[in-house]
Amino acid sequence: MNQKPHEDHIYIEALLKNDSRILSKIYEKYSYKIVAMVKKNNGNADDAQDIIQETLVTIYHQAIEKGFILTCPFDAYFYLLCKRKWLNELKKRGNKKVTILEDITSISEEQKQQVEETELFEQQHQLFESKFKELGIKCQELLKASFKIKSMEKVAEFLGVSYGYARKKKSQCMGQLTKLVKNSTEFQQLKEY
Amino acid sequence: MEDERYITFENYLTNKLSNEELKLFEEKIQSDVDFKYEFEIYKALNSSLASKFSNEEKEQELKKTLTSLGNKHLKKETKVISLFNYKKLMVAASIALLIGFFLFKNGDPVYSDFSNHHKLELVVRSENNQAISKAEAAFNSKNYNEALEHLNTLSQIYLNDTEILLYKGICLLELNNFFEAEAIFDKISTGNSALVNQAIWYKALSLLKQKKYLECKKVLETIPKSAEEFKQAKKLLRKL
Repeated sequence: MNQKPHEDHIYIEALLKNDSRILSKIYEKYSYKIVAMVKKNNGNADDAQDIIQETLVTIYHQAIEKGFILTCPFDAYFYLLCKRKWLNELKKRGNKKVTILEDITSISEEQKQQVEETELFEQQHQLFESKFKELGIKCQELLKASFKIKSMEKVAEFLGVSYGYARKKKSQCMGQLTKLVKNSTEFQQLKEY
Repeated sequence: MEDERYITFENYLTNKLSNEELKLFEEKIQSDVDFKYEFEIYKALNSSLASKFSNEEKEQELKKTLTSLGNKHLKKETKVISLFNYKKLMVAASIALLIGFFLFKNGDPVYSDFSNHHKLELVVRSENNQAISKAEAAFNSKNYNEALEHLNTLSQIYLNDTEILLYKGICLLELNNFFEAEAIFDKISTGNSALVNQAIWYKALSLLKQKKYLECKKVLETIPKSAEEFKQAKKLLRKL
């Protein structure tokens, strides 16, 4: 796959750098279309704002963890992500009839691929988050500390346990989490995707 | 023991395996499907959690920025449609109805029957600059290419001027750049300026010009009774 960043990759960089000057351009240039789409489909301006923000945060997660590179124009990529997110939201709210017909954006194969990549990332991210919360509180704390502090020596010190014990505990907790993910139906579906 | 497996994963990821252990690990990855499968999940979790927790503060900061940008650009006060002109409206509506009767019923309506644009008068602005008068002259003499050029210049000076934007849209519509024109009308009609209904009306006209009658009808139906454009909309609707 072509990994040359598109010039619109500046928006991804702006997310990473929290550059509000460039980020405001996203709102100026691209948000009105999304607001119009949400409003036409049982939503209001607040819904649109949430959808836009959540989508941007997802892209940020993907960029910071996976080094996501945007290789297509931002416009249609972003619009389609927001649209699909809104469809999901409508489904969650129990709306049976959820097909958004109106569509002014034509999508290239590459854009579609990037959209799907981001969506897949998001589904995995959400699954991991929800399974993490199913862990016992002790495990959650230990993992949080070990990823935040990084040095296991310091983690052990922080938790008041021995280094060996902290390490063993960490891999046990991670093992539990691995099994939770492995046995979840969501993960089976993700795999097939 | 299962726990052993995860300790091995952890040691592998933190480069703590001896050469011998490493060799065993690599062999197992090749031969044991479940081992490999779990390792992949373990690794993905590791990367996800590491990213999440080491960037928590950054993420909060970003969310703050996005919330404030969203509030600035997307939050609107709710529009209240006043009913004070109810009687006037009834009169207007009945006149519209009457006119409707006199219009012939056969044949599809044509864009040019409805495209009587208001004159462009930007003089209300304090500065009297050349681009303004040039834009007005060009637009009012139906020289849309030239008008568009001047309006483009003007929109760089008056950044958020909805009127200039609307007239840009009209020029684009006249020049059959429907996609760009409609993007402008959509932008205005989802905003909260005084030009919301005009923008909806022009969106409808754009669809009419493209002979997309059904879509045109749908758009027209969203123009509220209280709008100045309602009368025209009604007239056009009758013909569709």
